[in-house]
Amino acid sequence: MKVHFSPAAAAVWLVAVVAASAAAPWLALHSPVQPVAQPLTRPLTFPPLGTDNLGRDEWSRMLHGGRVSLAASLSAAAVAALLGTTAALVAQGLGGAADATVTGGANAALAIPGLLTSLAVVAILGPGIESVVLAVGLGLTPGFARLARQALAQVRSEPYIAAAGALGAGGMDTARRHMLPNALPRLLSLATTHYAWAFAGITTLSFLGLSGSASRPEWGTMLNAARPYLRESAWLAFFPGAAIAATVLSVHTLGAWLARRVTPGAS
Amino acid sequence: MNSGAFLRRAGIGVLTLWAAVTVAFFALRLAAGDPTDNLLAQGLASPEQAQALRESLGLDQPLVIQYAGYLQGLARGDLGRSLFTQRLVSRTIADQAGPTLALAGAGLMVAAALGSLLGIAAGWAGRSLFGRAASGLSGLATAVPVAVTGVFLLWAATWLASLRPELLPLSRGGNLLLPALALGIASSGALARVLQSGLEENLHAPFMLAARARGVGHGFRLAWHALRPALPLAISFLALETALLLGGTVVTEMVFARPGLGRLLVTSILTGDFPVVQGLVLLAATVYTLTHIAADTLSARVDPRLRSTT
Repeated sequence: MKVHFSPAAAAVWLVAVVAASAAAPWLALHSPVQPVAQPLTRPLTFPPLGTDNLGRDEWSRMLHGGRVSLAASLSAAAVAALLGTTAALVAQGLGGAADATVTGGANAALAIPGLLTSLAVVAILGPGIESVVLAVGLGLTPGFARLARQALAQVRSEPYIAAAGALGAGGMDTARRHMLPNALPRLLSLATTHYAWAFAGITTLSFLGLSGSASRPEWGTMLNAARPYLRESAWLAFFPGAAIAATVLSVHTLGAWLARRVTPGAS
Repeated sequence: MNSGAFLRRAGIGVLTLWAAVTVAFFALRLAAGDPTDNLLAQGLASPEQAQALRESLGLDQPLVIQYAGYLQGLARGDLGRSLFTQRLVSRTIADQAGPTLALAGAGLMVAAALGSLLGIAAGWAGRSLFGRAASGLSGLATAVPVAVTGVFLLWAATWLASLRPELLPLSRGGNLLLPALALGIASSGALARVLQSGLEENLHAPFMLAARARGVGHGFRLAWHALRPALPLAISFLALETALLLGGTVVTEMVFARPGLGRLLVTSILTGDFPVVQGLVLLAATVYTLTHIAADTLSARVDPRLRSTT
């Protein structure tokens, strides 16, 4: 992903979003699920961002919704990073058949788009935010495993790997104690990029109505709920839509910036 | 691709399909449990009706027998029946396939046109403002989820229609333009990137200098010497993108409230209608297998270097 936007602006937006979501219970003016004013009140009056079709405070819903979207995509990205890194470690540590299995399996799984893999997982587990998290995480795992394996393979040619082998360290041991720490910066930049995909995936599956309750605020769910009111109350779609787009772009920008910093020779 | 390689690909394809069907069959039945429970819970069937349904669907038999029966049905082209409508799954899918195919086709055209435009502009104009803008746009197109682009387009059309009432049909469900745009924009970014990096690589290759030394004109150099070698990868990418597009149709159909396979899949997942889900999984796996084979064949036709190796 090559998105040339300012990493500083991206960081500012992300810090603001994370801080606002973390402080949601204190920043929110009302309950995110109780009606507080006339339905479809315009923004910049009271409450500050207006109300949705049921008269619920949009500002509070955005804050609480961001909490769900951010935390769920963090969990999904963590699932992909943990499973993917483990598979890559096994592939690089044991080599041979294990490597062929991981590489072949990842390539086969990558033939099917992540969204359909995720939909299949939701079909099996049933709708709900937990299954959506697992579905997005599993959908991203093959791609992460393949890239993590590459990242580990790149430090393989370093002299200290040969030295560890000469000192009698086993393959798995070398992979875990020498390759993993040295590939960590690259794995971190990979995890950042995958967080952006996870965020897009979580909000998309929620948009499709697969994350369970429609009354619990979540940015994707809110974007979908705003569709019938585009003509008169476009702000209902604008807030969650813009927040999703800005967050995904910011994480991608930071991921690209990190990748430039940790890849030797690229500037 | 020679015939031996083709047969091998086809064999792998059939194996892939079998694996997809098998995983879907066992995973859906083991994890989702008895689908008639769902009917009972929703009050759509009495216990006696549920039992009769279980018997008629063969759900009271051991899983292995059900699996054998399902495979036998598949061999005859029978995908089973929907749990809720009792209609044939193959008929249900066929009914919904038209709108999705139209959407995917139109989306593919938008993706090809927009992706080539952005990719060639970015590769050509390089580090100039124009090139950077094209490169930024293709990044934007890939990163922003289809749901957001789609709702934005829908809003823009609603707003236009409020200014110019004759444009009202644009924002209506039946119109293909907006859904195709939303789907195509999302898929254009990846194609643009492939074209851009291919062009950038070729523009700095020694053969470009050689062509210039021979007096080959600027435009011809760009089109023939720089663009042509970048095409095979772009074409195979576009073929693979067709498969991705079918995933994107799921979201697009929900955004624009269109009928189609994507909507069918989501509603079947939500209601737990697993024979339909399973039929759609099989369909998706078939499409992927076919597009992969098509991508390889097409690339080999455009790039002679690939013929001997694949």
